[in-house]
Amino acid sequence: MGAPTQAIRDLSGILPILVLWGVALVILLGAPLLRRGPGSRLAAPLGGAGALGALLVLLRGSSDGFGDTLFAGAALTDTLYSSGAFVLLLGGFLSVLVAQTYLRSRDLEKPEYYAIMLLSLSGALLMMQANDLIVLFLGLELMSFGLYVLAGFARTDAKSDEAALKYFLLGALASALMLYGIMLTYGVAASTELSNVQSAVARGALKEPMGIAAALLLVIGLCFKIAAVPFHQWSPDVYEGAPTSATAFLATTAKIGAIVAFLRVCDTIAGGYHTWLPAIRAIAILSMIVGNLIAIAQTNVKRMLAYSGVAHAGYLLVAVACMGFRLMGTKGTQASILAMTGAVFYLLAYALALIGAFGVLAYLSSRDKDAQTLNDLRGLASSQPAVGYAMVLFMLSLAGIPATAGFIGKWQVFYAVLTGGDVALAVTMALTSAMGVYYYLRVVWYIVFEESAAPKPSPTGHGVEARPRAMTGVGAAITICCIATIGLGILPAAISSFLTVVR
Amino acid sequence: MIGLPYYLVVGSILFGIGAFGTVTRRNAIAVLLSVELMLNAANLNFLAFWRFLTPAAMEPHLFVLIGLTVAAAEAAIGLAIVLNVYREYGTVNLDQIAELRG
Repeated sequence: MGAPTQAIRDLSGILPILVLWGVALVILLGAPLLRRGPGSRLAAPLGGAGALGALLVLLRGSSDGFGDTLFAGAALTDTLYSSGAFVLLLGGFLSVLVAQTYLRSRDLEKPEYYAIMLLSLSGALLMMQANDLIVLFLGLELMSFGLYVLAGFARTDAKSDEAALKYFLLGALASALMLYGIMLTYGVAASTELSNVQSAVARGALKEPMGIAAALLLVIGLCFKIAAVPFHQWSPDVYEGAPTSATAFLATTAKIGAIVAFLRVCDTIAGGYHTWLPAIRAIAILSMIVGNLIAIAQTNVKRMLAYSGVAHAGYLLVAVACMGFRLMGTKGTQASILAMTGAVFYLLAYALALIGAFGVLAYLSSRDKDAQTLNDLRGLASSQPAVGYAMVLFMLSLAGIPATAGFIGKWQVFYAVLTGGDVALAVTMALTSAMGVYYYLRVVWYIVFEESAAPKPSPTGHGVEARPRAMTGVGAAITICCIATIGLGILPAAISSFLTVVR
Repeated sequence: MIGLPYYLVVGSILFGIGAFGTVTRRNAIAVLLSVELMLNAANLNFLAFWRFLTPAAMEPHLFVLIGLTVAAAEAAIGLAIVLNVYREYGTVNLDQIAELRG
């Protein structure tokens, strides 16, 4: 066997993306057959197979050649990418399971939904693999385009259209800001490749006005995507208006892709931390406080999860801030690596709990009723105990109660920022987490202690035929999320071989 | 001789007009146009940097092509979404498209 040629090495480095593209293409080309008749049962399994196939390819990928750059420096494979991709593709697979049931029960199912999901996932993967700001931009756009369309997938639902429009306009603005920032970076560093950017920063590029503007525009663009304060206004409307399965997907995909890219960018420009670290710290603190405060006032669960998502963006930005400590002595270096591993674990815990929670809402929805409010959850523990207690578990995990995955993720980020010696961030994180417990527990209260609102005479027609749904996609997704949330909460080490980031 | 700063100033003026438009215009299509203006400001500056900073490099040309492609795809998706909104609301005025509040 001769040495593999460069082209083969390049392509095998992006094999998960190629798998996603291939399956998406099959779905799009086969759409006429998959749209109606017997073929319509195949679209969701194909979508799931695409996400799962990419995940398997990723896990089987040999680890030699890790840290190498591909395509003449445009992309790379490293442990940050592979662990982030693991979380992303797992979330994508679970989102397909949720979508299968939800779209069918609401008469929205079209094969294109799954193709767009896979393309969006491939964009997020590209974003995490990017070793060049332009490639990062390309991945971000590929991901976002899919998410805009999915948000507006219920075309005859005014709310869904409005959500898509708001998401699109603010997203487009954010990407224009980012492209301008990348252009300024090129002006400062004469290159957009991360290693060249890093050496330009080491030469003091972040002391020039143009360099400062570039860094801030990049930070703003990424903060839009993760919905951090003050760039979060779109998220509650989009979360509420988008079809529930699309909300679950876009909430997790955008956050995973953007946070991993954020970690990488801030790691690259760590040398000029005095320029961007104060901004990130301020945004993180604001997001934690504002997100948790406004979430308390929400009665729509999807809206509440949007504001809680703002707060979670704040916690994740704490991990991003740790990248700035990398060059501040050994403690700082250690903190930055701990923060990367912690952030990826956090993203996994967040994705499991969030997809699970939206999965429960999807499970409770039917053709004529879209479950979104606290009232829809009233007395769930007595009427449908399994689903009710699953929702309780997801809320506890989002709140960060011990013995759930959410706690471990929060603890890891907290520990990293303490190692870095930033007490202010750590204290804010602890206090706001305690604040968040209130509104998560309110959901638990509604589920467990409130009486079921006058047992509605379930509409005999659709209601009954929609009942035996436990064995379909969403039931499986909720089960997987439950098991993983408890399992990782008790045995976080079980998955550390996939998720540990090394430098 | 017209140097690099002139191009950068034109670029930032374009960018500023676009940013101003996205904030002040209430017509969804006008906002979309403003965003395109901002993208093109970045493209213009890429070429200016190529001409004056790195005339031997070919990357800026590629970046502009990528930028144009992204802008075109963005316009296609944006107009499709605006069309759907128009069908449901009968308007593309952002102030009147406000079912989601809370």
